[in-house]
Amino acid sequence: MSEFIQQIINGLSVGAMYALIAIGYTLVYGVLRFINFAHSDVFMVGSFVGFYSGKVLGGTSWAGGLGVMAASMVGCALLGILIERLAYKPLRSRSKLTVLITAIGVSMLLQNVGQLVFGTNPQPFPDTLPATTFQVGGVVVSSKDLVVLGFTLCLLGALEYIVLKTKVGTAMRAVAFNPQAASLMGINIDWIISFTFGLGSALAAAGGFLWAYKFPRIEPFMGVAPGLTAFVAAVLGGIGNITGAALGGLLLGVIETLVKGSRWSTWTEAIAFVLLILILLFKPAGLLGRVQAEKV
Amino acid sequence: MKHPGARRWFLVAAVLSLGLGWAQDRLDPYFVDILTRIGINVILAVSLNLINGHTGQFSLGHAGFMGVGAYTAAALTLFAGPKLLPAGAGFWVEQLWFLVALGAAGLVAALAGLLVGAPSLRLKGDYLAIVTLGFGQIIAVIFRNIESLGGALGLNGIPARTNLFWSFAAAALTVYVVTALVNSTYGRGFLATHDDEVAAEAMGMNTTRYKIVAFVTGAFFAGIAGGLSGHFTLTINPKGFDFNKSIEIVVMVIVGGMGRTVGVIIAAVLLTLLPEGLRMLSSASPSLKWIGETRPLLYAILLIALMMLRPQGLFTWKRKKGAVTA
Amino acid sequence: MSPILEFDKVTIRFGGLTAVSAVSLAVGPTELAGLIGPNGAGKTTVFNLTTGVYQPTEGRISFAGEPSAGLRPYELTRGGIARTFQNIRLFKSLSVVDNVRAAMQVHRTQGIWNSLWRGGAFLRDEQVVEKQALELLSIFRLDVVRDEMATSLSYGDQRRLEIVRALATKPKLLLLDEPAAGMNPTEKLELARLIREIRDRFQIAVLLVEHDMQLVMDLCERIHVLDHGTKIAEGTPVEVRRNPKVIEAYLGEEHALPE
Repeated sequence: MSEFIQQIINGLSVGAMYALIAIGYTLVYGVLRFINFAHSDVFMVGSFVGFYSGKVLGGTSWAGGLGVMAASMVGCALLGILIERLAYKPLRSRSKLTVLITAIGVSMLLQNVGQLVFGTNPQPFPDTLPATTFQVGGVVVSSKDLVVLGFTLCLLGALEYIVLKTKVGTAMRAVAFNPQAASLMGINIDWIISFTFGLGSALAAAGGFLWAYKFPRIEPFMGVAPGLTAFVAAVLGGIGNITGAALGGLLLGVIETLVKGSRWSTWTEAIAFVLLILILLFKPAGLLGRVQAEKV
Repeated sequence: MKHPGARRWFLVAAVLSLGLGWAQDRLDPYFVDILTRIGINVILAVSLNLINGHTGQFSLGHAGFMGVGAYTAAALTLFAGPKLLPAGAGFWVEQLWFLVALGAAGLVAALAGLLVGAPSLRLKGDYLAIVTLGFGQIIAVIFRNIESLGGALGLNGIPARTNLFWSFAAAALTVYVVTALVNSTYGRGFLATHDDEVAAEAMGMNTTRYKIVAFVTGAFFAGIAGGLSGHFTLTINPKGFDFNKSIEIVVMVIVGGMGRTVGVIIAAVLLTLLPEGLRMLSSASPSLKWIGETRPLLYAILLIALMMLRPQGLFTWKRKKGAVTA
Repeated sequence: MSPILEFDKVTIRFGGLTAVSAVSLAVGPTELAGLIGPNGAGKTTVFNLTTGVYQPTEGRISFAGEPSAGLRPYELTRGGIARTFQNIRLFKSLSVVDNVRAAMQVHRTQGIWNSLWRGGAFLRDEQVVEKQALELLSIFRLDVVRDEMATSLSYGDQRRLEIVRALATKPKLLLLDEPAAGMNPTEKLELARLIREIRDRFQIAVLLVEHDMQLVMDLCERIHVLDHGTKIAEGTPVEVRRNPKVIEAYLGEEHALPE
């Protein structure tokens, strides 16, 4: 039983990081209706920015760790905005397929440039945040898991505030709902799209930093697997739906961790996709999404 | 290809591949090696083009079907063959059995295509891309978990059966079938589905059916290419059919021009030669060594640049009046 | 005669929005019918319901006496409903003649093996289809551009080609979604003549959504008026023109004529 609880906590913290990535997919899908393939590599860059800034700052402290995470988030927000401006914006009037292929290209570019810069071998991630383990009634809890969960909750709270309470959040929702109408209302669509990319990338970077904190070995292709799972989480929750993405992430994190701890562990990597196909078969709009009729 | 001459061209290609098969031992092995790979890549690219290009359903899992074919064919020649065939069976029996293995490779891959395609082809572009990508992952996980197929290490010691004849004959068959399909009622269905699904349905076309036909046919030939590839490299493992391999094929289709068979064939040839060229360059002098390691980076830049500057592909030209797609 | 198309209290809701509410209407087998109403009245939604793009939330739709619930668009097209689109949706990678051939193959598809073998039967069938396609095109004087790509035609020709393509499916009911949009007065006159000719020659029913009142009043034998998703009037052009509800819907209440 205590092992089960441990697994659940572990799963929730992995799921929290999936949620952080999934929200980026969902936000971008909301405003641009396309899957940003390069998102998972922004996540990877997030942990590498953390790696370098952690080395520069040195030491292990709460303030230092927060600083490193902030650096990752800012760095990746800029990267996300840059990617959108350079690669996607010029193609906005082109077919979706063109943008999709470009996104795949950007993803490969980030991975391979990453490989040139960082090398192929996994590198240990510096301990930027303090960590201990303690026991609660026979359950061994790593403070890392609690930190991941706590940070994620804070970030989700901040996101909720931005999306629901601020002017720019309202504008984002307007653009997602109807870009033409939003533009007629005087909303600067380009700016909102940039902001959305920045926001999504910053969350992915936070996810990347936390991921490296929990699993301290990082390499240029580390984004691929969590990125795909997070994407499935976004679809599971109903793509375009932020709460759905967060729930989907947590759910997938728990499921994956439980499977990993069972004798079916070698099948872990396949779960997300089996799940994806099942969702698409039986509830294509996801758990919280609504079916949208195509305009004819 | 309204013209009935199409079958004649196919015959010419078949005779040519017989000739090449015969000439194999008299040619430079390096040259034979490259030609064989060109044949296999043409099969992969032309069959993916049917799905991604003509029918407009973006698949990122073509290598997965290739893997299914590779494992099926290898299992047949490596395990089933020695049990079923009389000991010391001659050359022709071996070749015939290889033909059976290739056919099975295609059929099993086609079946996999049906299983993946039927639920997911109702989805629009991006989703299909992800599902097919996921399929590639699942296939790799499955092979890794089947101990009798070598698990993560894969299969070794596959008999060397693929030669220029098989490679080219299969390529010719692929090109013929794809071209014939595209220039038939099916072809207009594929293209209409590609252009506008809503309008196609409104014109009485069952677009799901067209998508599945394209997908299953594409998977069939990818399976054959996998069978050929396994009996050419003599060793296969789950990693060889991952996302990177799928992307390699996608790049061929995009460089050649989606929906343009001739362009895609040219691209398949050139992109098979490109790594060879890079390898020669990088071994020419130590200062150029880095070039050999930049292939994926090059592909990435190629993809982005093409989408920005020439999304229709490099080897496309205005369609001739009256001709459907070449 | 029993109607070819019948709506019986049809309602469709998208989430909380009721786009069409309890609409009943009937179109006779060779009737020239019009569907009018202000923007957002639900006209195109009626088309999408008729062609199976949407399924009604409540009510019944019958085509040729049979309920059409649950049928997909292509199945309804095979049964005899053809349509054009508000925003032209031709197949852009097909030539003019192939656009028509693609629609013709509804009633004749070669099997895979025939397509691969390309034997005599296949080639003969292809020739028959091509000949029929050209005949149809020549009625609309589009045969001269048969090998052009569909999208290279002029706007008016593209609109006509869309009608030809719809006719190629051999419909019993032809739905035209704003066929006169973007046309000048001369082209509109020509279009009206063409639509009448289609009805007379092929003996089919035509239902059109159109904003140009003049065209609708001149052409249609029966007009159905929608406003805010409900049907507010039905009748001959003269009746509809005099109907106070219609005048109100079009002019806004402050300009309504005293009853």
